[in-house]
Amino acid sequence: MVSPIFIIAASLGGAFLLGLLRDPWRRASYTISLLVLAFTTALAGAWVWGLASGAVQAVDILTAGTQPPFAVNLRLGIAEAAMVLLINLTGLLSALYLRDTLFIQGRRAMAVLLIFSMALSGIVMTRDLFNLFVFFELAVISTGGLILLSRDPRALAAGFKYLVASQVVSILMLVGIIFAYHATGSLNLDDMAAASEQLLKGGALAFFLIFIAVVAELKLFPANGWALDIYESAHPAFSALVSAAAGSAALVAVDKLLTIGGPAWMEVASIIGIVSFVGANLFALAQNVDRRLLGYSSVAQIGLIVFVAGQQDILGDSYLFVAGGVLLAHAVGKAGLFWLSGLIGGRELTAWSALQGNPLLIFAFASFLALLIGLPPFPGFYAKWELVHLIAAEGRLLLLSLLLFGALVEAGYLFRWFGYTIKRDRHPEPVAPSLYKHGVIGIAVLAGWSLAYLWGELSPHANLLHAAPMLFALMFLAIEWAPARLKNAVAIAGLLAWFATTYSAYDPLQLIFALIVLAGGAVILLASFQTPGRRLGFYPSAMLMFAGLAMLILAEDSFTFFAAWESLTIGSYFLILRGRQSEPHALSYLVFSLGGAFLILTGFALAAQGNSQFALAGLGELVQPLAPWVFLLLAIGFMTKTAAIGLHIWLPGAHAEAETDVSPMVSGILLKAGLFGLFMLLIHMGRQEFYGLDLTHAMMWIGALSALLGNLMAVFQEDAKRLLAYSSIGQMGYALFGLAMMNHLGWLMALMFVINHYIYKSMLFLSVGGVAKRTGTRAMYQMGGLITLMPLSFIAVLIGIIAMSGVPPLSGFGGRWILYNAIMTSEYRLPMILVFLSGPIAFLYLFRLIHSIFLGQLKDEHRLIKEAPFWLVLPQMIYVVCLLGFALVPGLALRHVDAYISNFLPQGALNWEGLTITSDFGYWSPVSIMLIVGVIFSLVFALLLLVNRKAQKVKQFNIVFSAERPYRPETTHYAWNFYASYRKALGFLEWPLFERFWGAIVDLLHTAADLSRRFYTGNGQVYAIHLLAFVVVVYLLKGGV
Amino acid sequence: MAMIAMATGFVLILIGLFGALSNRNILRMIVAFAVANTGVNLVLVAVGYMDGRTAPILNEAVPVAEATTRIIDPVPQALVLTAIVIGVGVTALMLAYAYKLFKTKGTLDISQYTDLKW
Repeated sequence: MVSPIFIIAASLGGAFLLGLLRDPWRRASYTISLLVLAFTTALAGAWVWGLASGAVQAVDILTAGTQPPFAVNLRLGIAEAAMVLLINLTGLLSALYLRDTLFIQGRRAMAVLLIFSMALSGIVMTRDLFNLFVFFELAVISTGGLILLSRDPRALAAGFKYLVASQVVSILMLVGIIFAYHATGSLNLDDMAAASEQLLKGGALAFFLIFIAVVAELKLFPANGWALDIYESAHPAFSALVSAAAGSAALVAVDKLLTIGGPAWMEVASIIGIVSFVGANLFALAQNVDRRLLGYSSVAQIGLIVFVAGQQDILGDSYLFVAGGVLLAHAVGKAGLFWLSGLIGGRELTAWSALQGNPLLIFAFASFLALLIGLPPFPGFYAKWELVHLIAAEGRLLLLSLLLFGALVEAGYLFRWFGYTIKRDRHPEPVAPSLYKHGVIGIAVLAGWSLAYLWGELSPHANLLHAAPMLFALMFLAIEWAPARLKNAVAIAGLLAWFATTYSAYDPLQLIFALIVLAGGAVILLASFQTPGRRLGFYPSAMLMFAGLAMLILAEDSFTFFAAWESLTIGSYFLILRGRQSEPHALSYLVFSLGGAFLILTGFALAAQGNSQFALAGLGELVQPLAPWVFLLLAIGFMTKTAAIGLHIWLPGAHAEAETDVSPMVSGILLKAGLFGLFMLLIHMGRQEFYGLDLTHAMMWIGALSALLGNLMAVFQEDAKRLLAYSSIGQMGYALFGLAMMNHLGWLMALMFVINHYIYKSMLFLSVGGVAKRTGTRAMYQMGGLITLMPLSFIAVLIGIIAMSGVPPLSGFGGRWILYNAIMTSEYRLPMILVFLSGPIAFLYLFRLIHSIFLGQLKDEHRLIKEAPFWLVLPQMIYVVCLLGFALVPGLALRHVDAYISNFLPQGALNWEGLTITSDFGYWSPVSIMLIVGVIFSLVFALLLLVNRKAQKVKQFNIVFSAERPYRPETTHYAWNFYASYRKALGFLEWPLFERFWGAIVDLLHTAADLSRRFYTGNGQVYAIHLLAFVVVVYLLKGGV
Repeated sequence: MAMIAMATGFVLILIGLFGALSNRNILRMIVAFAVANTGVNLVLVAVGYMDGRTAPILNEAVPVAEATTRIIDPVPQALVLTAIVIGVGVTALMLAYAYKLFKTKGTLDISQYTDLKW
């Protein structure tokens, strides 16, 4: 194999060769630069391949014909080779990207670019301290040159500020180096590591100076004002290089120093890293300029990797896997985003809306964001999993919570940006059409996905890109060009086929959930046949959500469970975001869900105690004092998904603003993921005592309050879809309550709600969605009298509300019946009263659906309305049949589950003999109830028909009492503020306390970020003082070394 | 002797840093950094200096056989040479920046160049 020294030699030679060429030979100069970079990239690539496959061994390259320490030596192992490849590949791609700029600037700029990538490669490979300094200075000088590539005049000042800071850094470093040399008699890093004890004792200050100088080169928060200015103003291709390549090189340098510094200095690195990660992410919240935001994010990510480097004492063998995963994901994602920013005309975040209409670029954008945040299936996800497990096992919980908090903030501002891109009015300036730039971005996307595959292979877990559901979802990316109806058919077929192939693998409980997710998903997807065109983005998102759900049900270990959980979260986020007004709601959904997911992650990590492969069944073997903590974390995480009261504020907007066929998916199906998690948790862990408090008791209260308040808030809605959304909070409250009762009937009732809620909520969302589609409004007071024009929708709503209100004869009554039986066997009285109370409240809002939408007088503008489209009506009619069928023979599904639950809670099972169901307290005979109610209904209906002849037709009129002045038109409508008197009495219960609470937290974070970022005054001298202050503070915190 | 050189070096570094941070004029800052760099170089040389020894040049005066006992440590000297070269490069680059900055705004006051901040 060709010696890696040629990576340095070729760049250097190329740069000199460029100096010999004539200035106008732009094409020749550019070709030489590309060839050199392509050669170094290929060489580095060959070494990576050789080292990874074991064909070659790590090499030491000696110079000047002498052994170290008398001459400089370089080393290339697998980690170094990968970094050198990363650096040179980024250099090559940036050179391609910079084609036009380099043609204008000429050969000198190209030479500087070559020197820059050579210097960075040198930093990675060298084993000599002074040589490290030289390469750093070369990088500084070439940075100074490359900043000038930018057309932004502000870049000049940024470059000067950088040079000022780097002067300070180089002074610190040189002084440190000479005293370290004095203490150890060698400049060789390996010699120094061998003499580490001596160096850290006598030359501690010297080591500190070197260490802090290299850390300063990483541009960590808060001593990094100049770096942010560079990120903001330099050419994006150069910013990509700085963030991806220079950052990685400096990280390798820090890592080398840590082998000398040992555990004491790893602790320092951890603290500096985590402060940088959290601080920079927090500051980024207040950013509105894309490249500065990316700069903050780079600082945060590099901080994260320094943190990982600082944790290598506990990471052991997985250190390279974790650090490499985070680093490469960051490098590809960040370089990709910077390159992408070069296509965008405006600099504010909303200007990225120019990407609309470029599905490939939007896919690239989403991939880069996912890489940065560490979502599945990207390397950061695997790395995060290992990292969190090992930190949790070591009990470093403060660090862990800071880490996850920072990650949540980062996901928040990055996805907010994504929301702007998708939902804001398209920016007038189109994306730049340059073929080169698009090609470079395409390569970055490819690299990101290849890394995802590679890390999946390297990880000890199953590769997520081998999972059939995941592949099926990704396949829709490849067939995005096809018409939506074709894709819809494929999607339905896929869901059903997966159900058929996995059918035998389910236990009865899983089977219920699988039926709802897969068969139920297929029924809802029938409604999607309604949408013509290609419907870009819908199917990959929806199928990602379904893939996550499908994998969740079958998950046996915590890793698969969590990966599935994050996949369904991300898929549903993209899905919800499609709604017309859903930008803020989708974001709040995502932040809550990811927050919940991080709690789940922490719970699993604590439970696993360092073993990153942990079977879910192992949850049952946990003991005090760990078990209740695990229970608490997991339960809160799952309750975020079921929108338990307090964590519910994302739900109404997200469900109401989603598209017509998306609302039933995210309400009818997605909410069940949380319930499935809770089932899993309770089956394995049962009751847990937390400082004397029975946690299931607390859950019961939360369930009861959710039921009460969710229903109450639904009563006061004017928007039909919001009403249904709030009602879901109440329904999930019932299910939570049933689960938390921890007795047989409670669980059976929860399952009954799982099934019922899916059927009637999907049906109602479809009918209301159809009505909204026809009338063009979701406000109920603007509808009315639609019964004759939309009879099928009316029937669906009528059946739906009968079922939901829990009156005979439909299946809702079955749920109630089991609930009442369950309550008789439970000891807790007060929460039960709340649940009882919420029943009648549900009548109030359900009544409005019929009353205000279908009864009353038809509005003039609605006289020509037709029934909802066929494809919306068809699934509703299927649901009607299901509801009637399930009402008649509930035992079909439930008796198996009943038997299954007996495995865990044997007491109180029901008797399913014949058509009658018997409990300890009474019996329920669905068929006879149906018959009786049918007879009564027919009699009353006949009577009504009889007396109908005498009824008068009325004219439209407004009801305004004297002295009431109608300021707004809707105030005169009888159906507006329908329950005004109840609102007066009970309205205090719907005060948006939780909205204000979470809103205040978000405001606080933003205000803090906005105020404290003024610390970066823009003055180069102030930045230098920051740097010195940083050095002093670290010195003092380290305890004077 | 070495101690005096080293103390002078550190004083020069401090003077340089103080000058660079307290003068707003960009040219003065550059000069101040040059002073600090000189100080660093002096420190480097002082660390390698050993009393009573001669320059690390192997010729008739210092035969190879006696070199280890008679010459001072050559490494710091080599480092200083490299550091000086790098220092010149950086200073030249800073001066080029100063020139370009002056052309954009007509001032050399660093506090005027705060368009990028926060």
